[in-house]
Amino acid sequence: MHSPELLKGTLQTILLKVLKDHGKMYGYEITQRVKELSDGRILLTEGALYPSLHKLEAEGLLKTETVMMGKRVRKYYTLTPVGKSLVKERVSEFVDFIRTMGNVLQVELN
Amino acid sequence: MLTDDHISYIIKDLNYRGIVAEGIQDELVDHICSAVETEMASGVRFIDAYHKILKSFGHTAGLRETQKQTIRSENSKPKDMLKNYFTVALRNLRKHSFYSFINVAGLSIGLAICFIIILFVINEISYDKHFTNADRIYRVKSEIKFGGNHYNMLYAPPVMANTLASEYPEVEAAIRFRERGSYLVKRSVENIKEDHVIWTDKDFFKVFSVPVLAGNPETALAEPNSIAISEAIANKYFPNENALGQTLILDNKENMKITAIYKTLPANTHFHFDILIALEGLEEAKRPVWYSNNFQTYILLRPGADAKQLESKFPDLIVKHVMPQMAELLGNDLTLEKFIASGNKIEYALQPLPDIHLKSSLQGEFEPNFDIAYVYLFVAVALFILIIACINFMNLSTARSANRAKEVGIRKVMGSFRSHLMRQFLTESILLSFISIVLAVITAWLLLPFFNELSARTLTIPFEQPSLYGIIILAALLVGLLAGIYPSFFLSAFKPVSVLKGHVALGMKSGFIRSALVVFQFTISIFLVIGTLAVNRQLNYIQNKKLGFNKDQVIVIDDAYALGTNRIPFKEEIMRSGKMEHATMTGFLPVSGTWRSDNPWWVEGRDPGIQENMVSIQNWRVDYDYINTMGMNMKEGRGFSLDFPSDSSAVIINEAALKAFNFTGEVIGSKIATFGDSGNGEPDRNKQISLTVVGIVENFHFESLKQNVGPLMMELSKRPEGPISFRFQSQNTQEVIQLIESKWKEMAPGQPFTYYFLDDRFGTMYAAETRLGRIFAVFSVLAVLIACLGLFALTSFTAEQRTKEIGIRKVLGASISSIVVLLSKELGKLVLIAFVLAAPLAWFGIDWWLKDYTYKTEIGVGLYLLAGIAALLIAWLTMSFQSFKAASNDPVKSLRSE
Repeated sequence: MHSPELLKGTLQTILLKVLKDHGKMYGYEITQRVKELSDGRILLTEGALYPSLHKLEAEGLLKTETVMMGKRVRKYYTLTPVGKSLVKERVSEFVDFIRTMGNVLQVELN
Repeated sequence: MLTDDHISYIIKDLNYRGIVAEGIQDELVDHICSAVETEMASGVRFIDAYHKILKSFGHTAGLRETQKQTIRSENSKPKDMLKNYFTVALRNLRKHSFYSFINVAGLSIGLAICFIIILFVINEISYDKHFTNADRIYRVKSEIKFGGNHYNMLYAPPVMANTLASEYPEVEAAIRFRERGSYLVKRSVENIKEDHVIWTDKDFFKVFSVPVLAGNPETALAEPNSIAISEAIANKYFPNENALGQTLILDNKENMKITAIYKTLPANTHFHFDILIALEGLEEAKRPVWYSNNFQTYILLRPGADAKQLESKFPDLIVKHVMPQMAELLGNDLTLEKFIASGNKIEYALQPLPDIHLKSSLQGEFEPNFDIAYVYLFVAVALFILIIACINFMNLSTARSANRAKEVGIRKVMGSFRSHLMRQFLTESILLSFISIVLAVITAWLLLPFFNELSARTLTIPFEQPSLYGIIILAALLVGLLAGIYPSFFLSAFKPVSVLKGHVALGMKSGFIRSALVVFQFTISIFLVIGTLAVNRQLNYIQNKKLGFNKDQVIVIDDAYALGTNRIPFKEEIMRSGKMEHATMTGFLPVSGTWRSDNPWWVEGRDPGIQENMVSIQNWRVDYDYINTMGMNMKEGRGFSLDFPSDSSAVIINEAALKAFNFTGEVIGSKIATFGDSGNGEPDRNKQISLTVVGIVENFHFESLKQNVGPLMMELSKRPEGPISFRFQSQNTQEVIQLIESKWKEMAPGQPFTYYFLDDRFGTMYAAETRLGRIFAVFSVLAVLIACLGLFALTSFTAEQRTKEIGIRKVLGASISSIVVLLSKELGKLVLIAFVLAAPLAWFGIDWWLKDYTYKTEIGVGLYLLAGIAALLIAWLTMSFQSFKAASNDPVKSLRSE
């Protein structure tokens, strides 16, 4: 499992990309999806997930809709047009970062 | 799948654990439910699954942290956050507009005063620093004690400058100034009177880095009859022309060639000469004498030279140069030791240029300087006023804390953090201080012309400087922070449980600090009021003191020399009109700034070689009607009279001279003597002049009341000259002026007509005091005003707090007056304490200020009582307005509703 420290800076990128690929998602679903994609090596903690989601919402990158499910209320997140336009940029920025890190750490990336 | 009971359980449990925030609560419930479902799908019991998930959150603490972080991240958009603070702050200020108004009004007046004072102080300390070599320029001052006279002056012998420049390697250049009064200046026909004219040496531009716009500064003032003029003068006499090389005529006779035009000297210079005349053309400047002191001397030291070291060489200079000449003059084997041993003194010292404006007040100043003590005083007063205003702010904030406490409680319950509240309160105070400072700058801008008139300065607000705006913003933040930090800490610390239950009954209770602050405010205010009254009483005393002459109803025609030979006919023509009582022609007038001349005299028959016999005495040359024109009183004997031809060798002395001469036997008829003139201005020991005393005039003040009346004698002038003074009867001064002016135009065509009234000139001797009196009056009025604003608000607050109490008292039969007394009693007590503290402080202050005056008014207990009663009365009136309003309210209204 990867350390949460390493995840800190990339959390937003992960959220944006996952939401882009899957459209509408709710919080728990996101954690499960990320867990699946990473073969269980990235576990998003709730303590990090929700502040990030709310922040992105406050910044206008995400929008939400709530669905009543009996006694439960489910809140779905989707990207706003601004959010969508940002995803590609954020991902390529991150890839670029990994490449740089490869050079800095003198390791071969496949 | 989860049942509804399970979900209800989770919702309740999470609620119990403090997950309550809207937006996050539902989400966490759903999240946990989903996770629990997943767990349960692998066969785990509900309760175990739930606790496992809770554990992954970090139990209650972790859940709460998640909630907190989420709220925080939502609010972390600075723009929205600030907007919110700002909106709420604005609403709060508007809601309590009365308190906001008091705060803004007090703060902006206080800040405006501070702002003006800062401008003023910056201006005062900037004097002369604009000269490139300001730190290397020194002025020679001298202290001479001789023949019963004591001089602290700026005059040095004519040869001092050259001697310093040639014999002392430290000195790079030395220049002299010689004042010879104002001049009539014309280009061809029309004369204009110029006041700022001075004779100076050619190195003027070397010592003072005055930018020369035209001409060569090296050679400009080298030749006799050459002058340098300021740009202002060049534009005045030669508009749109090149003035360089042209000629100006001074006093109708001297043709002066313009050899340089320099940039007009800035206001913050201790002299403002507009015309410099080459000293090369003045005979007096070439005399190699050390015993006459008439020249203001400035030196420029070489870089690195030490002024103190140069100063320490001056006693040798006196031994080498001054003493031999003195010995020759006094006719014995005089040495410096003997000179000093007989109680005399002669000392030269150096005064740094930047010190002149604030630290020098000697005989021979070109213009009256300012006193550094007053700079400190102004700064102190400005600070005090600002503190008074800030105290209002703090007092009102903490006093109103009871009301704000509920707000704090509610906000906290609604999920506000302490930091949010502090930011909220600070935003409020910074907003308030920002509004105040903008108003303050506008107020200062409006008040500045008024202040300029009071202080005789030309200050402007440097709106064109960007740093001003930076300072304004910085000051707003700083003042807001200072005023708001205490209330914000104080208020945000309230516990919601206790304030909402009503346990925190603050407000008037935590009153000790507040009382102390009110006492402080009023101590300062009362101090200023007493000070103002004292200064004005002294001014009144000066104006009304029996001076020994009558300063009213005398008009002085300046520059009568422009009449040339028409002087006497002019005077007689005007006397013939019958509008005037008396007239006299002399420059020796009993107000400072007119002619003076003193010589040593002795009682005939005594040995002039013995210094005790010599009396240094003002020797005034006047004419027959002088004593009548000035309204002086004879104590003994008679005034000059045409009936006595022998009066050409008569003298009238004053009472001080009578005492100084220490006559033996009958005074009237006694003779006094002095050395005659050898023709070149030097006394001739072989020629004695003697005069017979025919009368004794009562002492009259001819200098400022700061000084004693010195010995004075009057003799008839052989050749009357100088301004002509008329004593007139008419109440219609306009008529008098018109009469004289029409005659003047007739007899002195093309010459400027200038006149002044003797009492006005007398008034200008006390211009500094008058200014001080007015500035103090303004300050104290403002201090009292701001303090009363605070008192007004505090009373209204008290009344508001005690509405219920007042209602109950009224129902039980209390009268309005008893309630008014009840409400104003506490604060009234504070004002009383303030008075008790202020009185001794003021006594010390007044004592310090009056010590400079030889003649001073008695400051009795009455004045203190007057100030105290005035302060109490004003405070009481302020309070009673609000108290009365509260007391006359219908108790039904205040008691019915909660």
